[in-house]
Amino acid sequence: MESDTQRIALGLRQRDVVVLKTLIEQYQFRLVRYLVSLLGRRDGVDDFVQETWLRVLERGASYDGHSRFEPWLFRVARNIAFDAMRKRPMFSLDSNEGDGIRSSSASGEPSPYMLAARTQDAERLAHSLQTLEPVYREALVLRFQEDLSLQEISVIVGAPVSTVASRIYRGLATLRPQFEGETA
Amino acid sequence: MNIDHHESFQRMIDESLVGAISAEKEQSLREHLSTCTPCKEYLSASKRVIAGLSGFSFEVNPTLNARILAALRPQAEQVHEVLAHHPDAMRQHNMRFKIWAAFAVALSMSIVGSALVYQVAKLLATPMYFDNAQLQVGVLVFWLLPSFCSALWMFAAPGEKRGVA
Repeated sequence: MESDTQRIALGLRQRDVVVLKTLIEQYQFRLVRYLVSLLGRRDGVDDFVQETWLRVLERGASYDGHSRFEPWLFRVARNIAFDAMRKRPMFSLDSNEGDGIRSSSASGEPSPYMLAARTQDAERLAHSLQTLEPVYREALVLRFQEDLSLQEISVIVGAPVSTVASRIYRGLATLRPQFEGETA
Repeated sequence: MNIDHHESFQRMIDESLVGAISAEKEQSLREHLSTCTPCKEYLSASKRVIAGLSGFSFEVNPTLNARILAALRPQAEQVHEVLAHHPDAMRQHNMRFKIWAAFAVALSMSIVGSALVYQVAKLLATPMYFDNAQLQVGVLVFWLLPSFCSALWMFAAPGEKRGVA
């Protein structure tokens, strides 16, 4: 019996617009959320999203359907974001641990996290998240929001599993003081 | 209980949250948590961070999907057209690439291999009283030319014999 991932792989190989449409509808929100975590801003994200799907259409044949689709999609999006940031000065790129991105929070725009916070806890985290190093924020989002395994995250970010785990621990350590000394 | 002891359990809490803890450690952590208030608070604060991360909802521009599909459709149709009119075009393109790659590998191996064979033959030539010219001709005729011919044969052989389905 054909699995979902194999169906996606077949659809991408055939450049099937119906499959692409379904994928866009299914993953758009998550793609936006991931790119915001990577860039630390909301504006410009739509362009990256569009470019990601175009790349998915072009290079879809390289997805083999043996693993989940999300890590492959996020990897594509990450490559596009990094390529663009290297070329475009509007997205400032500073090196962090060899491959990181620095958030453009210094631009004075409202924080995307402030605007997107829907719960009290989220509101409390918004500022710390905005100022958190993007590599830590990315690792936290991929692990706890996208529910990806350490191995899958390691493939996306191109770093060893131990490095990914350290990034998550450090990210948690930075955000945890917001809630310390309180009971849930 | 000393600080180091708590730190080691808090480290275990982190490992447990990311899903990188052994069953044995998990069990010992559970036992510790049932009696340790600071570690319980640590776990509670960590869980609130994780819950807080799910409290963000980024709005997706309602016209974005339509815009993307409008951009994708012409490209997808273009590819479909090529595939419809030339069903073997993509396959042939891939096959050609594989043949060229195999040729490049075979060629570089025959060059590197010839250098090695020449060195070995030089060692053997002295006790057998061959001079340099004989040695070079020997390597050329019995090694270099056959290996070049084998590499070139890839272009002439039918697909199955090249290992290309």
